Amino acid sequence: MREFQMGLAFSKIDGKSREFYLLLILLSIFTIIGFICFMVSYISGHHVLGSSSIIPWGMPITITIYLIGLSAGSLIISSLTYVFGKEEYRPIARLAVFLAIILIFGAMIGIALDLGRPEKSWRLFMFFVLNNMRSMFALNGILYGGYFLIGMVYLGAIFAEKYKFIKMMGEIAIFWAALVHMGTGAIFGFIATRPIFFSPIKPFEFLAAAMVSGLALLMIAVVAIFKFTKRNLNKDIIFSLSRLLRVLIIVLAVIVLVDKLTHLYSPHREPTLWLLTGPYSWIFWLLQVGFAYIFPILILFHPQYNKALKGVMTAAFLVVIGIFGERFSLVIPGTAYPLPFYPGKIEGIWGMAGSFPITPVESFMSLGIFTLMGLLFLVGLKNLELLPVDDIGQQPSEIAKKT
Amino acid sequence: MVIDLDKCVGCQACTTACKNENNVPYGSPEEQRLRRDIYWNKVIAVTNGKYPRVNTELIPMPCMHCDHAPCVTVCPAKATYRREDGIIVQDFRRCIGCKYCIVACPYGARSFNSKEQEEEEYHRHDLPPDRNVWGQWPFPTRTHGVVEKCTFCFHRIDQGIKEGKKIGKEVVPACVEDCPANARIFGDLDDTRSDVSRLLSSRKWIRLREELDTKPKVYYLLK
Repeated sequence: MREFQMGLAFSKIDGKSREFYLLLILLSIFTIIGFICFMVSYISGHHVLGSSSIIPWGMPITITIYLIGLSAGSLIISSLTYVFGKEEYRPIARLAVFLAIILIFGAMIGIALDLGRPEKSWRLFMFFVLNNMRSMFALNGILYGGYFLIGMVYLGAIFAEKYKFIKMMGEIAIFWAALVHMGTGAIFGFIATRPIFFSPIKPFEFLAAAMVSGLALLMIAVVAIFKFTKRNLNKDIIFSLSRLLRVLIIVLAVIVLVDKLTHLYSPHREPTLWLLTGPYSWIFWLLQVGFAYIFPILILFHPQYNKALKGVMTAAFLVVIGIFGERFSLVIPGTAYPLPFYPGKIEGIWGMAGSFPITPVESFMSLGIFTLMGLLFLVGLKNLELLPVDDIGQQPSEIAKKT
Repeated sequence: MVIDLDKCVGCQACTTACKNENNVPYGSPEEQRLRRDIYWNKVIAVTNGKYPRVNTELIPMPCMHCDHAPCVTVCPAKATYRREDGIIVQDFRRCIGCKYCIVACPYGARSFNSKEQEEEEYHRHDLPPDRNVWGQWPFPTRTHGVVEKCTFCFHRIDQGIKEGKKIGKEVVPACVEDCPANARIFGDLDDTRSDVSRLLSSRKWIRLREELDTKPKVYYLLK
């Protein structure tokens, strides 16, 4: 059995159908619009975006940490096969690694879009020379760059089918992926100024969120691709992954609960109450708690829905949206809460919470990141042997977008 | 720098003096509404109590030039750094505009500039920093896409030291010079004979947000 699985054949997709090209063109159009919006924001200045001096980080950074989470989670899931030897997940492991590389690439684009001076982003990668290595951001530069390289070598080793090397790379990759997302959490968790950010368990919360969202996205991607390429999917893979998802969501929910509980005590009580009841509370309660924790857990524990593919897919969709809500309810309200410069009520504009307008330029720019990744993903599916050969009826003709 | 809250009348002269001196744009009502106007120095009003028993305090807030500056720690590109004399400066040539320092600053002292030097507001040739007048400015021009903040007018201080003038007496930052109530006193905190040392030893003082242990170098004398 093991021998057979080892020799599991993989193939490219055909990618010659009209729908495939239509999708490519559609994604390209949105990518170009996104690029134009980026140029507008670069040339005319960041005042076309929603961010301000009060809420300095807007949509691009929210998307970036979201994508890094998806990427790290996806790579960690791939290690189920290559490190822990779970053969039943081998058909989707290549896809997971490839997805991780695409997502980290999208995340790095997201950082570049947020920089006021994107042409100077090379400075982030001058480790120890021009960088201040006490900065979490600079440390993360090492982590992201290394992650991208490790992912590439890992995927290369998988294509070359060098099993010992794959196992070694897999072990490095799982370690590094955990480090990457904990480092991202540390960017926020180490800022003592912002009460909503400041928390020593932020890195662990990020790691748990990464595994939850990465797993959910991988499940969606696998089901969608297998369906549209008319491959035969062993549904047990999805159901066993959904049991894993269930556990991970509970872990994440407990970490968030502990985080918010500790913050409800002094000295962070006021800002936390503001987060839980203020103008951004609907994002926290509906998107984060509702979509990411409560609804998926209800679905995944339901005796019928958790045995139906539709139910599991709904839960995965909710999780992917909900974790985005989790990022959003961290980044935007975290900086929007006014700083207590002096005891008492600060009058006027300096005592008001910041507001974050959704602007068209920023929205299309953000959409462009996703469509660019979709484009790369489709091109990858067409040119790399990522999907298992179906031994029953192989009709790889159509392909839908990944989510 | 020492700010005497007893003398401060909240006239915002320091804010405008700073804008003039450092060529900071004045900002429009629209920018003000969206919180995108740039302040190197601001004056906040803090109230305690309820009408008719209200106490309003006016707190002028330049950059605190902290000894343990969070912005210096978080800057990935070494764009914000501490000079040997303790002033925290921002090098626009190195700044990549990641805005991490805005997130980390506990005093809201930093602003993001998204405007280009060429915009109409900047066409005021009479204004420093002119390198012919003030010597080497560590960045070529003010530029868009970077974070900026108060520099304690270090161009004045550097020029003054070069000319052998007394810092704190003959040469002071623009906000100190323009304060009509003489509420701001500038000088060397290490020098035991300076005015600031004398005031700090004789009056009760506070520093803002001491709980964060940033050790600001702006002291407030209480009423």
